Amino acid sequence: MENRKEEKPTYPKYAPGTHVRTSDIRDKKITYTWWEPEIQYAWSLGNAMSKFLQGLKEGKILGVHCHKCNRLIVPPRSFCEYCYGPTEDWVELKDTGTINTYSVSYLDPNANRIEEPILIGVISIDEAYPKPMGFMHYFGEMSKDEIHIGMKVKAVWKPEDEREGSINDIKYFKPLGGGE
Amino acid sequence: MTFLEKQTDPTAPLHWRGNMQADYLYPNGVAGDKFFKHIMQNDSFLATKCDECGKVLFPPRLYCEDCFIEIPEENWMEVPAEGTVRLFTVAKLNAHGKKLPEPKIMAMIDIDKTDGALLGVIKSNDSERDFTGARVRANLRPKDAREGTLKDIVNWNLI
Amino acid sequence: MIKKDVAVIGAGMTLFRRRLKETGKELSFLASKMAMEDAGIQKKDLDMVVMGTAPDAFDGIHMKGENLLDGAAGAGKPYVRVFNGGGTGVFAPIAGWWHVASGVADVCLVVAEEKMGSCYPHPQTAFRHIWDPILDRPLNPNLVWLFAMEMNRYMTVHNIKKEDIARVAVKNKRNAVGHPCAQLADPNITVDDVLNSEMMAWPVQRLDISPPSDGAAALIFVSEDVARQYTDNPIWIDGVGWNIDSTMWTNRDLYFPRYVAKAARMAYKMAGISNPRKDIDFAEPYDPFDYKELHHMEGLLLCDKGEAPILTREGVTQRDGDLPICPSGGLLGVGNPIAATMGQKVCELYWQLAGKAGKRQIPGDPRIGVGQAWGDIMQMATVMVMRR
Ligand SMILES: [Zn+2]
Ligand SMILES: [Zn+2]
Repeated sequence: MENRKEEKPTYPKYAPGTHVRTSDIRDKKITYTWWEPEIQYAWSLGNAMSKFLQGLKEGKILGVHCHKCNRLIVPPRSFCEYCYGPTEDWVELKDTGTINTYSVSYLDPNANRIEEPILIGVISIDEAYPKPMGFMHYFGEMSKDEIHIGMKVKAVWKPEDEREGSINDIKYFKPLGGGE
Repeated sequence: MTFLEKQTDPTAPLHWRGNMQADYLYPNGVAGDKFFKHIMQNDSFLATKCDECGKVLFPPRLYCEDCFIEIPEENWMEVPAEGTVRLFTVAKLNAHGKKLPEPKIMAMIDIDKTDGALLGVIKSNDSERDFTGARVRANLRPKDAREGTLKDIVNWNLI
Repeated sequence: MIKKDVAVIGAGMTLFRRRLKETGKELSFLASKMAMEDAGIQKKDLDMVVMGTAPDAFDGIHMKGENLLDGAAGAGKPYVRVFNGGGTGVFAPIAGWWHVASGVADVCLVVAEEKMGSCYPHPQTAFRHIWDPILDRPLNPNLVWLFAMEMNRYMTVHNIKKEDIARVAVKNKRNAVGHPCAQLADPNITVDDVLNSEMMAWPVQRLDISPPSDGAAALIFVSEDVARQYTDNPIWIDGVGWNIDSTMWTNRDLYFPRYVAKAARMAYKMAGISNPRKDIDFAEPYDPFDYKELHHMEGLLLCDKGEAPILTREGVTQRDGDLPICPSGGLLGVGNPIAATMGQKVCELYWQLAGKAGKRQIPGDPRIGVGQAWGDIMQMATVMVMRR
């Protein structure tokens, strides 16, 4: 009789662990301990972010320079993370930019399914550099078929009396349009 | 902007508020499930014995962390829900620093016939006494109210 | 200064599932026990232990490294937990390598664990806390948005079709059929299944994503001095690399992961690899999303920018292709318990190079493999090169 080469075992040779289905929890087949942590935070803004949020409250997008790296940075910070030197010379930037990337989301923030999609993306602010240099925000006044990378956009601000020093003082970015 | 620049505008925003909200469902584990299911039906505890070092592990575990071997099924054993206070403290404030209506006597209790211990609250009107070495018995919820968590042990009565 | 060469002599891994009954400690024990039995090692033989486990918010235990200690044979040993988000799966073995390469330990156990099922109702809840609280979180972002934006940028810059990306999900879920721990193995899945799956956040669809999982994995590292006492078939760690880019992700072009390239160059230099495309026989790049495998093949310098989808379409990356990619089944097929993906990214290198992968074995006795993980806000890369 011919000696057939024995098939080598597959590692890992076994897979320890006990699968628990959602129904096992619902039907109380396993015991578990439930916990709802309660903890609140007040994050310090620091000088740079405080100034940036104050700017938003006043309807301005502020940037700051790192002359050494030739960057005009937004969102601004008190130091440049590449050369690790202090930033300087704050400037007000135009509230226009270009869509660097985006998504059309059918998930809300809690991963619930939604019918009307959320348009979200990164805006590279026109006067800041090097590109891409900007922040994440929503898009509006455009359809999911119109939105595209490279689209020129402009901030739509909340009315002055509703602004509170938050990234949400900008409602969203809308198409800039050809004439402006 | 230098690192030394000071914030001088008192109206400028200083903080951003928020939370880290999330809820948790911790399965009690393979050993924990067996332990708590036993308590749901009985007024005693379970422990596991390691053959290698001879220790009786409590709360019971799937493995001995010292010898790092799995505990076989036959090494599970029943132990009384009684013990001796090894250490204790008397809490007068709650976690938020508010005064408690009554002092809370927290103790580490060496469980009889085991090498393990459990944290518990001692039921006593005399919070001034020394509880070290006191004999205590677990006061469990009524059987039909037990849910398979540590809360099934309401507190510990002095024997 | 590297004082000792480091060998891998054993590996272990638990089942990966959306939720497992075992506690994190118990999972760590099961994976460690398998690796120790495989290597012929007992707790008393271990000089040191490294634990890799990602955000505390998944398991829901702060300082969970300490919580997991007992299950990782760490009680009474020099023990350390390392952690850098999704990069942890390869960073934990890199830390294990330090312990042995420095000459401080002869035998080191590396354990990686994650229990995402604890976070209720969904681990997404914990992911909400990784964003900048001031700039990003007020917009209420969902983590999938972040990957959707990166994927879109990558697709647009290189003009990549979604179906070429979907091929990665199909390949990995099929590769996972040979893996005993796999959560989402599917021998019959097709490109159409992926393209027709639910749209989550364009361009990301349901089957482009790996699932959240519970699981653990373990490895035994030993120094060159003692390797032969335990095995005739040690697998060597030839190079390690890691790199992290700025947290300000909106100031970076996401189409190419330059931090992966930097980490890869560091590891290749150490391993004496001058031509990664020629020298490397197979790879386990991090694939939490199908496009990430392609993105990381390019970051690992295994092909040109934008070329990975073409290689995938041509079958080069299949298990029997010229450059097998994710022969384990990856995160897409086996599951994604963040740090514990060490099971696919490093344990798999060991099993493949030792000829122990059985049903998953790459033909032709592969000699050199590279594993990689990735994490944080699209910024962290960890790379390990292993050799037979
Ligand atoms: Zn600079
Ligand atoms: Zn023992």
